[in-house]
Amino acid sequence: MNPLSAIRLPVSPDMLRGANGLTPDMAKLAIPQYELGKIASPTLQPSTAITPAGATFESTLGRLVSDVSAKQAAAGEAVAGLTTGAGVPLHQAVIAAEEASVSFQLMVEVRNKLLESYQELMRMQV
Amino acid sequence: MINVLTGINATSSALEAERIRMEVISQNIANAEVSRMPDGKPYQRQQVVFETLLTQQTGGIGNGVGETGVQVARIEKDQRAPRLVFNPGHKDADANGMVAMPDINIHEEMADLISASRTFEANLAVVRNARTMALQTLSIGKR
Repeated sequence: MNPLSAIRLPVSPDMLRGANGLTPDMAKLAIPQYELGKIASPTLQPSTAITPAGATFESTLGRLVSDVSAKQAAAGEAVAGLTTGAGVPLHQAVIAAEEASVSFQLMVEVRNKLLESYQELMRMQV
Repeated sequence: MINVLTGINATSSALEAERIRMEVISQNIANAEVSRMPDGKPYQRQQVVFETLLTQQTGGIGNGVGETGVQVARIEKDQRAPRLVFNPGHKDADANGMVAMPDINIHEEMADLISASRTFEANLAVVRNARTMALQTLSIGKR
């Protein structure tokens, strides 16, 4: 359904003929049909081009989680390397830990958004 | 792999390089009074030489420019002549009672140390900034 059909209605051919008590002058003041067409034409299509073939939403999410997990593991390794004297510099360990923390927060934000949209759907009146 | 703190690799390499620079300076200060090294000569002042380090593009959020880090190319010896000090009682004194001491100016070393420490601090500020920016960006989704 075109969301702009309600706006288009007032400039139906009836109106241009002066029906509904409108004079032709008033009808001319309304937005012409072809101008509205320009606005309405680029409708959004569900995009299939962005995600590569075979990549579902689930697998994308799974990759995010495993990336975060890898970062946590790397941070753990760096801290272990630092404390056991394996030659990992202090700043590298701290940066790895910080990266793990930020990416974890990103994952939590994604989870919050997902849950929020699910609850929004559940609240919807049928 | 997701890249949450972009531009951190170059900063990390700079932190490492500055740390090595500080180590070399501390070595210079510690050995300022050493008149005999294993080779029999007085200690020679050392200094670091930096060079750019082009890390490979890691994909993800990139604008086609590889991150340019920094690394210590080499640690070279300062070729200034030793300072001769009159100290006849010293074990390393020559026939005239002169001892060759390293020509290390402690003020120069301290100025270098301050410079290295401030550069380190500046790089830390970059890391802090990148972290704050990432967290602030995440707070877009909060309500």
